Amino acid sequence: MRPRVPAERYTGASVRRVEDERLLTGRGTFVADAHLPGMLHAAFHRSPLPHARIVAVNTEAARRAPGVVAVFDGAEMTQMASPVAALGAAPGSGGPVSFGILAMDKVRLVGDPVALVVAESRALAEDACELIVVEYEELAPVVTVEQALDPSLPAIFEELGGNRLFGPEVKVFGDVDGAFARADRVVRASIHQHRHQNVPMEGRAILASFDASSGQLLVRASTQGVNTTRQMLAQQLRMPLDRVRVVAEDVGGSFGLKFGASREEAACCAASRALGQPVRWVEDRWENLTVSGQAREESFEVEAAVTASGLILGLRVQMVIDSGAYPGFAPLVVDIVREMIPGPYRLGALSFSSSGVVTNKASYVAYRGPWAAETFVRERIVDLVAQELGISALEVRLRNLATRDEPPLRMVTGPSLAGITARESLLRAAEIVDLARFQERQLRLRDEGRYLGVGFATYIEPAPGPRQEGGEGNTEQVRVELDRDGLLLVHTAQMPHGQSHRTTLAQVAADEFGARLEQVRVMVGDSQQTPEGFGTGGSRFAAMAGGAALHGARRLRGKVLEAAAQILDLAPTDLDIWRGELVGPGVPGGGLPLAELISRIDLAARSGQLPPGVDVDLTATEDFDGGESGWSGGTHCCVVEVDPDTGLVRILRYLVVEDCGDLINPAVVDGQIRGGVAQGVGAVLLERSAYDPEGQYLSATLMDYLLPTALDVPHIEIEHLSPVRLDPDVNFRGVGEGGMIAAPPTICNAIADALSPFGAKVLEQHLPPARILELIGATSA
Amino acid sequence: MKLPPFAYRAPESLEEGLELLAAGEGEARILAGGQSLIPMLALRLARPSLLIELRRVPGLAGVHEDGSGLRIGALTTELVAERDPRVRAASPLLFEALEFVGHPAIRSRGTVGGSLCHADPAAELPAAALVLGAELTARSLARGTRTIPARDFFLGPYTTALEFDEVVTEVRVPAPPSSQGSCYLEVSRRPGDFAMVGVAAAVVRGGDRVLDLRLALSGVGDRPRLLTRDELELEGQDSPEVLFGQAGRSVAARIRPPEDLHASAAYRRHLSRVLTERALRTAFERAALQGGAASA
Ligand SMILES: Cc1cc2nc3c(=O)[nH]c(=O)nc-3n(C[C@H](O)[C@H](O)[C@H](O)COP(=O)(O)OP(=O)(O)OC[C@H]3O[C@@H](n4cnc5c(N)ncnc54)[C@H](O)[C@@H]3O)c2cc1C
Repeated sequence: MRPRVPAERYTGASVRRVEDERLLTGRGTFVADAHLPGMLHAAFHRSPLPHARIVAVNTEAARRAPGVVAVFDGAEMTQMASPVAALGAAPGSGGPVSFGILAMDKVRLVGDPVALVVAESRALAEDACELIVVEYEELAPVVTVEQALDPSLPAIFEELGGNRLFGPEVKVFGDVDGAFARADRVVRASIHQHRHQNVPMEGRAILASFDASSGQLLVRASTQGVNTTRQMLAQQLRMPLDRVRVVAEDVGGSFGLKFGASREEAACCAASRALGQPVRWVEDRWENLTVSGQAREESFEVEAAVTASGLILGLRVQMVIDSGAYPGFAPLVVDIVREMIPGPYRLGALSFSSSGVVTNKASYVAYRGPWAAETFVRERIVDLVAQELGISALEVRLRNLATRDEPPLRMVTGPSLAGITARESLLRAAEIVDLARFQERQLRLRDEGRYLGVGFATYIEPAPGPRQEGGEGNTEQVRVELDRDGLLLVHTAQMPHGQSHRTTLAQVAADEFGARLEQVRVMVGDSQQTPEGFGTGGSRFAAMAGGAALHGARRLRGKVLEAAAQILDLAPTDLDIWRGELVGPGVPGGGLPLAELISRIDLAARSGQLPPGVDVDLTATEDFDGGESGWSGGTHCCVVEVDPDTGLVRILRYLVVEDCGDLINPAVVDGQIRGGVAQGVGAVLLERSAYDPEGQYLSATLMDYLLPTALDVPHIEIEHLSPVRLDPDVNFRGVGEGGMIAAPPTICNAIADALSPFGAKVLEQHLPPARILELIGATSA
Repeated sequence: MKLPPFAYRAPESLEEGLELLAAGEGEARILAGGQSLIPMLALRLARPSLLIELRRVPGLAGVHEDGSGLRIGALTTELVAERDPRVRAASPLLFEALEFVGHPAIRSRGTVGGSLCHADPAAELPAAALVLGAELTARSLARGTRTIPARDFFLGPYTTALEFDEVVTEVRVPAPPSSQGSCYLEVSRRPGDFAMVGVAAAVVRGGDRVLDLRLALSGVGDRPRLLTRDELELEGQDSPEVLFGQAGRSVAARIRPPEDLHASAAYRRHLSRVLTERALRTAFERAALQGGAASA
């Protein structure tokens, strides 16, 4: 193969997204765009109460309402389907708790589905929902962690005997007692991360179509992975796996919400099966905000053993996670937070206690960078240590960050830190922002009554993370196939919902195979074709799927060259595939288009002209674990100005210095970073999933749950560091979550710095203007 | 979030609209830009049996100016009003307030009359209308035409002096005295959101002194109220700075701000003081540019 110069490669270039034209001109097809003949519409009657026993459900009037085809209550639904715990519900995640697809004996949160109405239109279904009368016996709501641990309050699941879901479980790494004995000082803080949530443009949605004659269920889903959705639907519907086919087309965002299948989605499938007609449900914004799921509500008691010079010797951490009403993802989050909390630092000892509770709030779901609390807690603690010791936060970070030439390059919790560039990213960020000059300006402006602050946060993101013991089999599978039109089909279980996979995976495969980009089709979203794999999540795409595609394309290319050499009676080493043609000295006409080559290989194979042993199956399936690729990471830096009279925070500068390995498509990478930072800006300044003391949900519209708009997101400067390449072939790394992980601590650190003249201590992540004024003592809390 | 069932009519004349409205006996509603009414229907907070859309009725939209002030048709969209140079010249306070209403996309549908009739306690236009001494023209079959001064119009949250069968056809905004400067300021969670606190302020200036001042705040009570020098019990002829400080404290002491997800009552009270001072100061400075500094 002729060596390719970068200018000839797609990989590394900001190739224009193949998705753009279709999506930006309104030609995407989301579930709401899907129609089938005879299609019916679903709506749910939902609980207005956070916690109550159901005494009676009367659906009579609803069944007689105009346009209504069927109404199912909890008892009826139980005959049709049974729920499974959400993805990630590990053993010990609260033991066996029982509940229905629809609420039966109890409702456990505002919005809990109590009955399903299927009608000729969504509007008619909603009209009928209003006619359903439910008699409740109210129970005391369990809204906070304190209430969950109060034995006098009723258990949300009686079988738990209380509202503690798991823990406290304590794990110890390194010599914690020794670290605290050696410490000059112990810095303590109670740090809280508030509840906020995924708000994809397209909420949950499903079109279920059961064909009674074949017994097949065809599902059009909005999902992060068709295989997982298929598995969970089959389980809930008690159907053999082979009777369920899940197809996904465009998915309007998710951020972790759309793994598997929710209770509502299973209910719609069950209804379609019962009625023999297609049933569509497209969640509305109220449902999305109130019941689809929420994340992040975690609190931490932290003690840091530090030396006078700012070395952090050890941490004692107690984490409590508020899992909301229906147990699911929370136990998994706790495990990752514990493992990741040392981050890129040389922390020598850690004691970590974790527990989880259930409350009458929306269930805990994965949200972009689900373990982000560890970065928040660690980066806040670093700044608090600096503040207490009177050293600069930059100094404390530099003193504690791991260096590549200093063993053991390993987190105290186990994972290797090989290849990290955290220190470089921090130094570069401090250089770009010109810290010394900034600090002069900051002091000068304080005299004028203006309060500026600068904040840093340094992080690593497992993307996918280093190989770990017991991690065998954790791979992505890609099947690369050459069809008779000469198209290179790249099948992946990744399910793009904003990540540009159709472009970036094509770039990788095209380069490796020698195809033109237009000849590559990235094939996703059909459980009948999709290879193994749970879907998009955990920043697995770039290194794992990208690597599998690279190796698959390489192997397929080898097969094609081998067969071509036989047909043309040339040496494979004299041949090359370049821009979609077979080329090389002796190739007829100077180049053979792929389609023509394939038909000649096919003809030769069928007429027995090829010697035995030549593989003419023009597909290659590869499993790849990400190789030696490990961490993405970097440092964010933010400069803010706080108006001490109004509490308004203005972001004057936002800077990202990061390393996600080799960039497949810089524009796509920057887009992922910017999107993540925007969500971080939202988390700190705007977004909160708020409940009142009675457990009513307060953030149920987009006038209450405030998303950042283009006017709230600052310009984001991005610089990419050149990576340490540890793998011979695959040095791309994921970049989906880092922006969202690092932005909240960065912004909070900057605000804390701005507020330092007021003696304010920032221990929470959500800092709306009213809270800022409380922190500086201008108004009472 | 689908709308509940209702009937819909788009009459060609105002008389026909007024007949439909009267016949609805309180169950019919006027649909103007729909930027407040439609979301209320989607949340099923309102269930009118009939919506009467007036966009086919001629003469209800448009800006007119004569020497005495502006006449703005009730169905004039907020964006058309904002972009009309006569509005900007004749009523800078109204112009400034309009710019704070939602986003351009909202303002391109929402109407000046709709905003006043909706009477959201956090809306900008009601507060501006009070400070400007605006008057609303209302029509009904039963009572014909009547004029309602803005200070008698807003009765409570989403409640006005309009009878169920009345339509607002026009808003009149008198020309301000030449020595008046004005300022609209607000703090909201995001640009375009309803204000946590908004302040409409006008100051009549004579040389270095404040001859008169008028204020109205949004977001701090059940409705905006006009606050004058007398109502604020501002004493003496102190320097403007002292007066503005007094005004800020007086406002903060007088209001009973609500508490919600976005702001505590204490925060709103604090902001009312800060923004009152800032708005008055800016209005005073602008009055100098209007020639108020000379006309002592
Ligand atoms: C995202 C968003 C953000 C917004 N932000 C703001 C904001 O920051 N500040 C703000 O003030 N507003 C805001 N609004 C509301 C907007 O200004 C509305 O347009 C306005 O409040 C109502 O005007 P409308 O013409 O849309 O009235 P409609 O919604 O059509 O009607 C509102 C009410 O007034 C009645 N009505 C309307 N016209 C008449 C009339 N001529 N005579 C009698 N009754 C009438 C209707 O029957 C209805 O009860 C926002 C709206 C949205 C959707």
